[in-house]
Amino acid sequence: MTGPTLAALLAQFAPLAACAVVLVALRGRPRTAAALAIAGMAVSFAASAWLVAAVAVPGRSFLAQTVFLPVDQAHSLAFGVLLDTLSTTMALVVSAVTLAVMVYSTGYMAGDPGFARYYGFLALFGWAMQGLVLSANLLQTLAFWELVGLASFLLIGFWFERAAPAAAARKAFIMTRVGDVGFLLGVLLLIRTLGLATIPDVIAAAAPGGALTGRTIAVAAALLLMGVIGKSAQGPLFTWLPDAMEGPTPVSALLHSATMVAAGVYLVARLHPLFLAAPDVMRGLLWLAIATALATATMAMVATDIKRVLAYSTISQLAYMLMGLAAGSVTAGYFHLVTHAGFKALLFLSAGIFIHHAHSNDMREIAGRDPRAQRAGAIGLVAGSAALAGVIPFAGYFSKEAILGAVGAHGTTLVLALAYAGAALTAYYSFRMVFLTLMPAGAGATEAGGAHGGHGGTGAPAHRRTPGERAMGVTVLVLAALTLVLGYLGPWLGVRLLPGEAVREPFELGTGALVALALVAAGIGLAWIEFGRAGAPRIGFLERVPALARFCGDNWYLDRLYRATVVRWAAALARAAQWNDRTVVDGATDGVANGTVGGGRLLALVQNGNVQAYLTVAALLLAALAYALGRVAVAP
Amino acid sequence: MSQLHWYLLVAVLLFCIGLYGLVQRRSLIAMLIALELMLAAISLNVVAITSLAGGDAESATGNVSSAGQVVAVILIGVAAAEGAIALSLFVAIQREVQSINVEDLSELKG
Repeated sequence: MTGPTLAALLAQFAPLAACAVVLVALRGRPRTAAALAIAGMAVSFAASAWLVAAVAVPGRSFLAQTVFLPVDQAHSLAFGVLLDTLSTTMALVVSAVTLAVMVYSTGYMAGDPGFARYYGFLALFGWAMQGLVLSANLLQTLAFWELVGLASFLLIGFWFERAAPAAAARKAFIMTRVGDVGFLLGVLLLIRTLGLATIPDVIAAAAPGGALTGRTIAVAAALLLMGVIGKSAQGPLFTWLPDAMEGPTPVSALLHSATMVAAGVYLVARLHPLFLAAPDVMRGLLWLAIATALATATMAMVATDIKRVLAYSTISQLAYMLMGLAAGSVTAGYFHLVTHAGFKALLFLSAGIFIHHAHSNDMREIAGRDPRAQRAGAIGLVAGSAALAGVIPFAGYFSKEAILGAVGAHGTTLVLALAYAGAALTAYYSFRMVFLTLMPAGAGATEAGGAHGGHGGTGAPAHRRTPGERAMGVTVLVLAALTLVLGYLGPWLGVRLLPGEAVREPFELGTGALVALALVAAGIGLAWIEFGRAGAPRIGFLERVPALARFCGDNWYLDRLYRATVVRWAAALARAAQWNDRTVVDGATDGVANGTVGGGRLLALVQNGNVQAYLTVAALLLAALAYALGRVAVAP
Repeated sequence: MSQLHWYLLVAVLLFCIGLYGLVQRRSLIAMLIALELMLAAISLNVVAITSLAGGDAESATGNVSSAGQVVAVILIGVAAAEGAIALSLFVAIQREVQSINVEDLSELKG
């Protein structure tokens, strides 16, 4: 076994080992469990970092695979690792974000009765995602794809004793499952055509003159995209993600940045040549992504729950990544995935600090609880929002610029205009969130100040920070520093992901960049006028129209539509199945059981315990036997 | 009707009387006695058939075989042993349940 393979195995199995030990043996010892999970993830992080360095030379990649169950001549089950810049950098991002979330959670989840279980699930999540990222063939990808879904189900429903998280977990699981059906079919189609669907083989087969026909490619790409749409919360299947906010905030940070939703985008980047070989499907994806980006941006503009704002912004940014990929630039889409992982984790973790402090998700309530006392949270929120909006030195600017460049080079003017509009809306809603959270409202400020004075000694100033809360602050500050650095990765990634593609310099300010920056400034300005300045109305332009506010605040009524149609049909089907189960299946089983019992009762009458009765029967039977034998003997 | 048939008839009668007694009497001792009757019927059969119906009587020597008598003697020994075991069992049963009526000994009822 070579060094890279060993490191890849270490990166995957260190979290798994931690998960197993924590869940089996350490349920009652939360501190040890957290330490072990963090140690496992740190090992994974170190191994991933080594891997990134090992394949950092452009054009270099490793593929190691072992067949463990041959099925027939062409097909077999195999597991392996595929290491190139795409998979190793993603593994690094996954382990880094998971590690940050684990450290942060020592403070956020302190004292929770399920603390050890929580860390076990986090480690499980880390393992599943690392396995997905490093997997060498599509069957393996599918297995880890489902494991990622399982881990997010467990974590969203972590507080399962309450109704809302349990329902949100179910919704997330079932809704992504709808897309996963397509994913499964797509993988099976590719396996049927190609045998062992190793990822480089699939890519080679999709090239012109490869083993796949254009039709097969289109069908497979469309089917795989169904899974991507479910997992990455796009188009009609996005409504599970806002509901998933019921989970603990650090889980949201993990779910929204490097794991779960990132899996879909990562898959498209991984199999990008295959998708590019199906231009019609890509055109559809481009439009779907644009529609999703704009629609969820409007939803983020009216939400008052800080986590919901962030959730909608995630969907919108994922749509941007898919836009970049659909426009043909794997670098742009993947670059945005990496930078987004950094700043979205940062945003959620900062929001978590406020939520932890104010015990409320509502931005207006947080504003009333002296939010600026949480210095790390405030810095993180502003830095993260600047990155999300695309303000120039922050990471989000560079990656979004790359995407807009790719869309401009590929699409029509209309597509580009819509993408720019989305960027402006992003700036608007992210700074609406900043102003709503950090600027005390005119009337609310004095009220909050008065309440503060009343509390006196029990108020925030007397509060000493625990080590856990200090860990939260440090994590946020580290991530905030990262948002300033990650943006310069673009050219480095570009050279290695797609050698030969034109590399854009980070500070190359063309017309496109200037237009984007002007739009971002306009968005932030509008947010300032409506929410930030002294005496601002603190009501957005969308919220002024009640019908629109309701429409956007309720997921564009998509959930209502689903409840009225699909959910109702499914419930009716379930009731029919239940009747069938209760009456037909259970009836048959009960009949067999009752018949057996009754027959036994009847037969038991024969065994009356009286020896003489048995003797009589025996004698009669012997007589009958003798008679029969006699007849046989006489007959010839 | 040959001489053998009379012997067989007596044996059948003995056997049926024994069977009737075995089934009808409720006392274990009476049942044991009936069982002995049935054994006696079988012994009689063996002796009668080997002595009168040929069997190995028609062997080369033409002498009447004594094999039947040997079997009968063994059967008597078996009956004696069986009686000893059965009677000691009855004593044990009497001590255990204060009765040797078979109708009281129906614990294995289904």
